[in-house]
Amino acid sequence: MSKIAEVTSDPYAYVAGLKERKNKKIIGCFPMHVPEEIVHAADLIPVVIWRGNEPVTWGHAHVPPYDCGITRSFVDDAVRGKLSFMDGFVFHIRQCLQAGEFPFIMERHFKPAYQKVLYLPAIYPGDAVRDFALKELESFKTSLEDFTGEKISDDSLKKSIEIYNKNRSLMERVYEIRRAKPGILKAKEVMQIVWSSMLMPKEDHNELLTELVKGMEEKSVKAQKERIKVIPVGCLCQTLQFDILDLIEDLGMIVPDDDLYIGSRYFANPVNLNGNPLNALADRYLTKTPLCPTKGVWDIHWGDEAIKKMRDNDAKGIISVRVKYCPPHTCYYPDFRSKMAEKGVPEVMIEMEHEIISLEGVKTRLQSFAETIGGV
Amino acid sequence: MDPKYKVNRLQTTNEIRPLVDKHWADLRTAKERGELVAWASGPSFIFAYAMGMKCHFMAGYAAYCGGIGAGEEVLKVAEMAGDLPETCSYHRLHMGMGEAVARGIPINPQAILPMPDLMVAGRLCPEMSHYAEGLHRRFGVRVLPIDLPAVVDMEDMPRIREFVYRQFKEVVIPTFEEVCGKPFDYDRMSEILSVLKKVATLRNQCWEFFKDKPSRWTLWDYGVSIAPVFYLMGNPAGVTYYEKLLKELQERREKGIPAIAPDGEKYRLYWDGWLPWAFLGKFMRKFIPHGAVVLCGRYPWEFFPHPELIDPEHPVETWADLYYGMESHLVYTFSPKGTVDLIGKLIDDYSLDGLIMFSSKTCRVMNLAQPEVIDVLDKKYGIPGVIVEGDMIDSAMISDAQIETRLQALYEMIDSRRR
Ligand code: SF4
Ligand code: SF4
Repeated sequence: MSKIAEVTSDPYAYVAGLKERKNKKIIGCFPMHVPEEIVHAADLIPVVIWRGNEPVTWGHAHVPPYDCGITRSFVDDAVRGKLSFMDGFVFHIRQCLQAGEFPFIMERHFKPAYQKVLYLPAIYPGDAVRDFALKELESFKTSLEDFTGEKISDDSLKKSIEIYNKNRSLMERVYEIRRAKPGILKAKEVMQIVWSSMLMPKEDHNELLTELVKGMEEKSVKAQKERIKVIPVGCLCQTLQFDILDLIEDLGMIVPDDDLYIGSRYFANPVNLNGNPLNALADRYLTKTPLCPTKGVWDIHWGDEAIKKMRDNDAKGIISVRVKYCPPHTCYYPDFRSKMAEKGVPEVMIEMEHEIISLEGVKTRLQSFAETIGGV
Repeated sequence: MDPKYKVNRLQTTNEIRPLVDKHWADLRTAKERGELVAWASGPSFIFAYAMGMKCHFMAGYAAYCGGIGAGEEVLKVAEMAGDLPETCSYHRLHMGMGEAVARGIPINPQAILPMPDLMVAGRLCPEMSHYAEGLHRRFGVRVLPIDLPAVVDMEDMPRIREFVYRQFKEVVIPTFEEVCGKPFDYDRMSEILSVLKKVATLRNQCWEFFKDKPSRWTLWDYGVSIAPVFYLMGNPAGVTYYEKLLKELQERREKGIPAIAPDGEKYRLYWDGWLPWAFLGKFMRKFIPHGAVVLCGRYPWEFFPHPELIDPEHPVETWADLYYGMESHLVYTFSPKGTVDLIGKLIDDYSLDGLIMFSSKTCRVMNLAQPEVIDVLDKKYGIPGVIVEGDMIDSAMISDAQIETRLQALYEMIDSRRR
């Protein structure tokens, strides 16, 4: 865990060092849906772009205050030169409106050696959608080949997928053990584990996880007073402030599982290794669950999915974490909440801003929620 | 500030309101006549029109609601139903209207529409998907979703055009055939396009009068005249309207009448972003006393079809090419790069002095890169620009003081560069 904490406590230093150590180029992939396996197969290091911890400064001249935190933080980092160790960027610009405007800003202020725009489609009916998703991936692959001057063979792509799948199954195992041994890891630590997977080369992360899983399997956890289980949901594409996760636990609740991108969503759905690897990556993207409100899925309800997760974990309530100025979540939220009311599921929504001013408001809401579900 | 300026109102624009009112009234009463009703977002309503359905259009409805002063009350209903104010106001308007219908909440009857038999959701902006999803989840609306990506680099256009065209052929047309119980009416689509071609040709002739110095009309006049090239598409009344408008503008030129009295404008301005439908008068009152007029903009300019690209003989192909053809830049101008190209051309064509970048606090489709766009254009053309924050409909997002300050700054920058 100490290595993981080190990586996530200063991702800038870690990734910059990584580039030196491995002597490879770093490609920043804007979360959430860039298929990193293709970058990996091009012998580059894909790193998922993160929301920094510092207040936005120069970024104010480029991004309005009513854009989400990661947008402001990323542009701020880029224009301040904090990301100079990155050699290129990939933006799936159809995810949300904010993401659509990065390419121009980066071209002007960063001038990356490599930049790729992906237009992955919403998961709508018709064969055209699947064919187009596949074409997008093909064009992504070609652009990387042009950048490196090396072809990406099916075999090397399969190898990369294997490494990624292994990572997924190891993280799944971490979650399983956490479910079986409540309290073995703090919620914050679990988030750090997932986040570090987004920052580290997957081979290295797999090694770390193998060790971690072994340790977790061997470790016995003292039976504690039964805590009320809750499932955090939402917080699209960026890390949830660790303080909030700590607060949840300090208030007598415990997190057995989650529906967060920097959480269980990141490693859900291994890629099928039989057949054409690009097809398999397209299939993974086109999978409707876990439901992501950026993918245009409406024949299943996010609320039902969350309730299922809650019941499977024997949890008593749901904590929605909504990032301020994130339209995909914001637009879905009223219907999510109605579903909770309709099914009698206790739910509370906390808003997360990039510049956290005071945790007091969040604490009050969580405290009364904990009382409602009997956690205190 | 010079108090002498006054608007010379066009006579023809008085004739738009009855046309628009009739469109929405026909839609409101369509079910009573046993007609099928569609709703649409993105440029997708033409398919409904071709099938003889009455069809609402997302942005058109929002503009109408704002124009009749019903925006605030409809937004309130949405808020009551749990919609959050950060959600784009067009989205909230539809949720509010749907909730008003579902719960029997009294609102301005002109703002009420029948719930649709089919909603064709063209996902030009991801929020258009969110709002269609919301309508489906809450009110069980049947949705026909299609993905219409905005294009960042022209080289991506051909594969996206192919994707869009296939969705039209393989999903949109068969679904309309199923809902309407008859084969798709390609002939009617061709007729609609023939009328549109005429209207858009006349419209382009009218645009020439923005080039006059002083200008003969303002962007706001064009804003209220936009329906015939958009959701009144195919209606021959649009041809009559634009013929009259053209005639009036010609007369103005002959008689030397400018858009603002007595001698025309002091500042010729560009407007970025959606038009502030509920606040057109408010903004006008902030421009005119300073002798400022807005003459053109990204949305009203490029978003509506190039007549020369309309080929009524090939209706579906034309529709794909209008938005995604290599000749047409309609979806490209949604991206900052495309914007820079377009505005640069407008600066030259219309002899602009400054840029107003309207940044909607709830619609983030154009906001993020606006400072960049100002910077690039200032460097290239020596034209200053300011960002004005606000919203198209929601008055809670509008700050008079901020708007005044920013506009004042723009006028001063223009003055100082002239010295
Ligand atoms: S937080 Fe939401 S709006 Fe912001 S980049 Fe992520 S998905 Fe997009
Ligand atoms: S966010 Fe803007 S472009 Fe998108 S639907 Fe709303 S008003 Fe339209």
